[in-house]
Amino acid sequence: MTTSATDTLRRDAGTLLLLAAAAATLPAWGSDFAVSLALACAMYVALASSWCLFCGTTRYLSLATAAFFGIGAYAGAIAIEALPWAIVVPLGAVAAAAVAALVGSAVLHLRGTYFAVLTFGLTELLRHAVTAWERQVTGTVGRVIATAPERDTVYFTVLAIAAAAVGTSIVVRRSRFGLALAGIGFDEQRAATLGVATRRIKVAGFAITAAFAGAVGAATSVRWTYIDPATVFNPFIGFQTVLIALVGGAATLWGPVAAAIVFSLLAETLRLSLPQLYMTALGALLIVCVLYLPGGLGSIRWRRGGPGRAPRAGGAP
Amino acid sequence: VTPTVAWELLATGLVTGGVYALVALGLNLQYGLMRILNVAHGEFLMLGAFLTCSAHTALGVSPLAMMPVAFAALALLGFGIHRLTFRRLAATSPNVDVFEARGLMVAFGLMFLVQNAAQLIWGADLRGYDYLSDSLPIGGGVAFAANKLVLLAVALALAAALIVLLRTTLLGKGVRALMQSPVGAQLVGIDTRRLHPLVFGLGLGLAGVAGCLLSMTYTITPAMGEPYTVTALIVITLGGFGSMGGALFAGLALGVIEAFGMHFTSPSFKAVLSYAVFIAVLLWKPDGLFTRR
Repeated sequence: MTTSATDTLRRDAGTLLLLAAAAATLPAWGSDFAVSLALACAMYVALASSWCLFCGTTRYLSLATAAFFGIGAYAGAIAIEALPWAIVVPLGAVAAAAVAALVGSAVLHLRGTYFAVLTFGLTELLRHAVTAWERQVTGTVGRVIATAPERDTVYFTVLAIAAAAVGTSIVVRRSRFGLALAGIGFDEQRAATLGVATRRIKVAGFAITAAFAGAVGAATSVRWTYIDPATVFNPFIGFQTVLIALVGGAATLWGPVAAAIVFSLLAETLRLSLPQLYMTALGALLIVCVLYLPGGLGSIRWRRGGPGRAPRAGGAP
Repeated sequence: VTPTVAWELLATGLVTGGVYALVALGLNLQYGLMRILNVAHGEFLMLGAFLTCSAHTALGVSPLAMMPVAFAALALLGFGIHRLTFRRLAATSPNVDVFEARGLMVAFGLMFLVQNAAQLIWGADLRGYDYLSDSLPIGGGVAFAANKLVLLAVALALAAALIVLLRTTLLGKGVRALMQSPVGAQLVGIDTRRLHPLVFGLGLGLAGVAGCLLSMTYTITPAMGEPYTVTALIVITLGGFGSMGGALFAGLALGVIEAFGMHFTSPSFKAVLSYAVFIAVLLWKPDGLFTRR
């Protein structure tokens, strides 16, 4: 490892620690509203960072984030009645990762639009299947979560998941695994020829992404006290994650983090008062960003920066 | 199943299937020809429906007379959108895969934009009006509202016209050439810069006509588009991307399958059934069931 690589590693890890520590002090002095804002930020930091970990590097455009979030939420809602909090959240992650590994090994040979459409269809299939199952078997539509942990417990859990997602990204970028993922993004056939076990790498990457989304789902859904398939499998969760990642720069590390914070603050403040205007603006922003800034906001800085961080020719997926 | 029930289910399925086919034809032009997977297709259908509904309730214009108006308005909108977004996208994308992925994201943006703008303008309420709603017997003891039969007739006529247009005219030859090989088409002198906006506009125009027809039969809301987009996606996947005959047949078939499926299971499984069919086809026959290669 060269000295500049060690420097960037130290800088990235230091920034992450500093941000996480600052966010961890919030419950001590912030209001309820501030904490719930920060919770939303942490949720999207975790979702967007983990999305970029796999989709940003390999350029697989996955719209299945909502599916994994929903699986985690349902696993959490069912488990929390009987199990302690420290098991509930990992359980959500494991459930989502297991589904992702299963689905991934069946669909990851498809590329491009096929994959995007398929993951979207999968989310909708799961949503409708869970709805039908709840109607037929349990006779209800949603679930009431009676035993929810304290506000601060949820906040620290989601913050830890977000920090872990960014931390995992930092580590993976510098590992053989990360290089293999990037190799698949450049040219999958070439990577396979050079000896990368592309199939296994892709399934593993997809499962890691799903694990974070599932953990976030399990941890945040208890805050809502009532969940139903329409809210936890809401495709909008997936769209917003992709939007944040693309605007921030799917190939960069800090772009998605910054974009997640900005978007969550905007969403939480505007969505209540002007929901349609917010969504309209979001749509327009997505179009403008794809047209004029395909590498994302995070890519602007790197153009002048170190050679190792230059955006790839194709930019975001 | 008695013959009467079967005939009724078949007829119901064909009427719904006709709508599916009509919606799918427009999407198929855009994706099969230009690799633009326009997931906002249903939103433009919704615009056509609201245009017709507003004109009929406020000015008393006949919905049938609104059909060409909706087509022209949406086609013009299509030219505008193509000029503002997809033209630049095609010029700046390094290859077709990147263009396709970025085009999909732009289409998602359009979906948010149009759907929520419509909600801002018209509100989220259900709307509707009565037009040609007397029922007409079609034989075998089965009767349908006249507007549904008009819908089926127009859908079949438009599909036939489109297929004939593509098969026999020089324009159609150019479009088919573009479907087979964009680079080859350019090499033999087909002006893609003119043909692309034209076909995108044609696709949106067809969505407008479908919306106009649907507003006669069903109540409309700003959120009505998305289910039609998904159904259209299923139909063009079944029929094979770029195949118009396949889309027509797959649309009618999906309508009939849904009618029978819902009769034998329950309506709450309708969505599960169509998504399951969709994913199964994508996994095992990603080129569609009716493609000839």
